[in-house]
Amino acid sequence: MPENISERIPEQLSEKRLGGCTLGGAIAVTSFISDAVTVVHAPKGCAHQVFSMLHALVEEASLPLLPPLLSSDMSDREVIFGGEEALSLALDKAAAKNPALIITVSSCVTETIGDDSEKVCRAHPAADKIITLPTAGFLGGRAEDGENTALLALATLAEKCVPLPKTAAIIGEKNLETEVEENYAEVERLLSRLGISVTLRFCRNIQAAEIGKLGEASFFIIRDERVFPAGAAVAKRFDRPYVAEFPRGLSGCVTFLRDAGHCARIPEEGIERAVRDEEAYQKQMLEPFEEMRGSSVYLGAQLMEGTFDAAREAMERLGIREAPDGIPLKLPFYLPVGVSGMMKMLYLWRRRIRG
Amino acid sequence: MRQIALYGKGGIGKSTTSANLSAAFSESGLDVMQIGCDPKHDSTRMLMHGQWIPTVLGQMYEKKDIQKEDIIFEGFGGVRCVEAGGPEPGIGCAGRGIIATFQLLEKLSALYGDIVIYDVLGDVVCGGFAMPMRDGYAQEIYLVTSGEFMSLYAANNIAKAVKRISGGRAANCRLGGVICNAKDMEHETELVAEFADRIGSKLICAIPRSKTVQTAEINRMTVIEHDPASAQADVYRRCAKAILENTGLKIPSPLEPEELEELAGKYL
Repeated sequence: MPENISERIPEQLSEKRLGGCTLGGAIAVTSFISDAVTVVHAPKGCAHQVFSMLHALVEEASLPLLPPLLSSDMSDREVIFGGEEALSLALDKAAAKNPALIITVSSCVTETIGDDSEKVCRAHPAADKIITLPTAGFLGGRAEDGENTALLALATLAEKCVPLPKTAAIIGEKNLETEVEENYAEVERLLSRLGISVTLRFCRNIQAAEIGKLGEASFFIIRDERVFPAGAAVAKRFDRPYVAEFPRGLSGCVTFLRDAGHCARIPEEGIERAVRDEEAYQKQMLEPFEEMRGSSVYLGAQLMEGTFDAAREAMERLGIREAPDGIPLKLPFYLPVGVSGMMKMLYLWRRRIRG
Repeated sequence: MRQIALYGKGGIGKSTTSANLSAAFSESGLDVMQIGCDPKHDSTRMLMHGQWIPTVLGQMYEKKDIQKEDIIFEGFGGVRCVEAGGPEPGIGCAGRGIIATFQLLEKLSALYGDIVIYDVLGDVVCGGFAMPMRDGYAQEIYLVTSGEFMSLYAANNIAKAVKRISGGRAANCRLGGVICNAKDMEHETELVAEFADRIGSKLICAIPRSKTVQTAEINRMTVIEHDPASAQADVYRRCAKAILENTGLKIPSPLEPEELEELAGKYL
């Protein structure tokens, strides 16, 4: 019997590996505001780590983005005597570039020695365009805490306003996942069945001024539970309904359509028509995989909760059996989003089954 | 080279004791270095006739290429005086400053002599202030305490640090003994002696409270220099001799808080 890796990985080890640092989480949000500069108040190694990771990912995705990061470049001197002066100098450099927004993120080092980053930012001549994120490196929690902190702080740039009908804003896309654009396209495809348009991807390849449009959306779509705290808080602030996550697999698309339709107050018959169209579309999309019907497979490790369910639903529709001695198949790292996510998985399965 | 460190509650008299011990050691012909490990940077002031010498961290803040002469100053009896210094109160990390000081002294090959005395801030508040005990610097730790409960409490805490550190990478760090710097309490020396005994160590010396000390300090000198013929100067000399002859270096057995309270209560 093939070994199921997930049975070998202690849950905690996996969680710790995925936990990350608030700095990385926050910067993964702020770097996607193209006319903002993020000042990393930390030793330069921290900024380098995050810059390298982001740079590698955007290169891979051929995105025209060089993460606009500046480090306060803390050394032993700043650790011993305090880094507030170094932060102020880094803010000077950031301000000299005349960005639309300067975002400061703090590290575990600055938190440990007790630097008051907020005070420094308030006192800076460019204070009116500076947002301070008290991320505090590992002391502030995990990467997702950094993302939530960033989203919540940036959302304060948007004023309350009258919502535009049939519009949605997306909150907290996973900027570091390779399928981010495919996943967005899938959401956009589903929304178009309801005549809903996306006003803002908060924060994905936007300009700082666009954040002001956050309140224009008639409802919000939160990427997933990772950024749910920020998403729900933003929805509450603007008094708007929300869809709690991107569609999970095939049936998740139908659920998503109904949820989004209700949030946008689409009449019931309009929603049901969209659902019928979607079901027909899914049937058509699954046809090329009919050749896998009757195959026996063995599913590998589930690294993201919900992936088994999404995969088994597709197996059921295609008549694929699960057996201990079946062909070992790899599950996607991230939970597949909508039909496109499932197609990608099924293509890989088909190749494996064909041998 | 013998490296000794004096630890104790803030204000208990570590710097006065350290400076007078350094003076006594130098008087007996030894090559002595005293390193103040406290952001207050006043450990060596009496050896330096009241001069506030530039601190290591102050120099590190100001310049990159630091030489020995920037941070080591000759005081009474040829004692080489160093002050680690530290950040302004309320900012930065003084503990890291102590570590950086030691790294610089190592780099400059400045740690030499017959005796190096480390005079360390009131308590082991973090790993930085344990630095003199770690990495093979001070092999002998002396606890300076009076008979006051809080002073004994701090001394007991430091004994805990010595125990922990002696079991780790600095296996040669040991408790040399306890110095009673008296506050004129009744049965104070007996109390401190019993405390030393109960933690598995011994009383090295008892320094009585004396106006001679205040007089010397007002004149910006150690007692040994200001009033060498005084009884108090002899006390410091005897204490220095006891340390020099001390071979009973131990891993202490710190007391539980209840035991400490019971001990202090016994002498009330």
